[in-house]
Amino acid sequence: MLADAIRSETYRFTRNRMAVFWSILFVPVLFLAIGTAVQFFTKARMAEMAEALPPEMTAEGGPMALSGTLDLGQSLLAQAGDFANPIVMLFVLIGAAIIYAGDYRWETWRLTSARNTRINLVAGKVALVFGVVLVALATWLVFGLIGELIKAAIFERPLAFSFADERPGQFAGLIAVTVTRVMQFTMVGLLAAVMSRSLLAALFVPMVVAIGQFFLMQALPLLAWSAGDLQAHLLIPGLSHDSLKTLVQGGPDAAAAPDGLAWKAITGLTVWTIVPLVAALAWFSRQDLSKE
Amino acid sequence: MTFVIETRGLTKTYGSVRALDGLSLSIPRGGVYGVLGPNGAGKSTLFRILLGLIRPTAGEAVVMGGAVGDVAASRRMGSMIETPRFPPFMTARQVLGWLSAAHGLKADAARVSGWLERVGLAEAADRKVRGFSVGMLQRLGVAAALITEPELVILDEPTSGMDPPGIQEMRALIRSLAERDGITVILASHQLLEVQRVCDRVAILNRGRLVREGAVSELTSSGERLRLSVTPISKTLEVLAALSYASGSLDGDAVVATLSRPETPALLRALVEAGVDIDEARWVGADLEAVFMTETGSVQMPESIHAG
Repeated sequence: MLADAIRSETYRFTRNRMAVFWSILFVPVLFLAIGTAVQFFTKARMAEMAEALPPEMTAEGGPMALSGTLDLGQSLLAQAGDFANPIVMLFVLIGAAIIYAGDYRWETWRLTSARNTRINLVAGKVALVFGVVLVALATWLVFGLIGELIKAAIFERPLAFSFADERPGQFAGLIAVTVTRVMQFTMVGLLAAVMSRSLLAALFVPMVVAIGQFFLMQALPLLAWSAGDLQAHLLIPGLSHDSLKTLVQGGPDAAAAPDGLAWKAITGLTVWTIVPLVAALAWFSRQDLSKE
Repeated sequence: MTFVIETRGLTKTYGSVRALDGLSLSIPRGGVYGVLGPNGAGKSTLFRILLGLIRPTAGEAVVMGGAVGDVAASRRMGSMIETPRFPPFMTARQVLGWLSAAHGLKADAARVSGWLERVGLAEAADRKVRGFSVGMLQRLGVAAALITEPELVILDEPTSGMDPPGIQEMRALIRSLAERDGITVILASHQLLEVQRVCDRVAILNRGRLVREGAVSELTSSGERLRLSVTPISKTLEVLAALSYASGSLDGDAVVATLSRPETPALLRALVEAGVDIDEARWVGADLEAVFMTETGSVQMPESIHAG
């Protein structure tokens, strides 16, 4: 029965080409195009930039390295860690909002609601959004690697793929953290969609909440809170995401993290994922679906 | 007799408005069953409850042997209520494929094409729904209700927005669903003439209550009258007033007499003896519209009823 809900949601979503393009393809294509243009620009101005930047920046292994071996393993890790950026989240949210609020917008609940339980109907949507997020992540990684290959070709740099030791674990950890963050963001959209029956609300409410949380994060020092305070994580899931990412990536920042940061961050991200989902399920299970 | 739908004391209130008021109704399996009523009678509310879209305030409803919300039972039912709407980016064929998937069926191309053919949408099968007329949406709505090959189908105003040939085709389709496919069809319509032609039984609702239920033939025959074209009319009315077994009233340029059929010769004899010239005497059945008007106490008929 849940399989039926997932199958029907997938069938409908994949026929909505615009939704598929904007939520999955647009951002990777955009970033690839901009990145490639920047690489060509940099190549044209390479000599001037090399003189203007500090030598450690452009040396091999530096953040603006223009020569030396390009490690695709490192690039893959960086790309995975950058997945839950605001632009990706915004465009994935377009697809999620269409999935969550489409039946209200098109008045199609009456066609499907008698064929499955209400829990399954919502669970089917959430499962599809999870699938969309995974496909968006895969597309993001593939286009990121294509960008690195283009960069290597432009600068005539040799390629390597180093993915041993701690890197598989880091990669898995980063994917878990970033995918959870994107799902958490869409859960706010789910709750907004169910409560308001509106596609626009499903889009704008998560954005407004995220903007509010961004400003709250900037105001942490004013509140005398730090990243180690549980209440900060319970209010700002973005802080939890950033904290977990730092811990997974390791290095000096992770070593300097306050005690208990991991479980506080996991708690914050989990609460912001589960609470909207449970609230949406509870609301939807008693909702009058004749008022679409 | 087995019933596809049984309601007992079904009540639904919206604030101070009672949309359904203790409705008890049993709809038998087989044939075409009409649910009639003026606007606000509670038809749509009844259907919404049966489909699980809303919950009743009180009472209970059993659909296909299961309580409302029992998905296994609901899956044996198809429905089209109010003006059907579909995702605008999908074609008619994709809509049926999508609903097949929602029902756990594979998108069987032959089945989808078959239903599109039966509702008259074969040529528009691969056109996007956003360009469909109201009549085409109605046809697709009917196909959507039937794509899972249910045992019971609820159709709310299935001919709304259709042209006369379309209405005729839909009427034939509905009869064939009952007769050829063995599907029980529950139909709500304001088109009383259509209902009379296509339904086997009807229920008339008014203000959320059941006011009349029965076979269409019974309801219409119970209102039989003798229509008399006579001269002079005033003398005829006097004779009728004097008789114990009959009564009469003026209907345009004729007199309509109410009496039992065996009394007909006696009445005609009495009229002739009183010097009344009888041009024509004809038994006429009450049509469903007359029964509807009587039972619902409608002073003014809705326009859509006149159109029927």
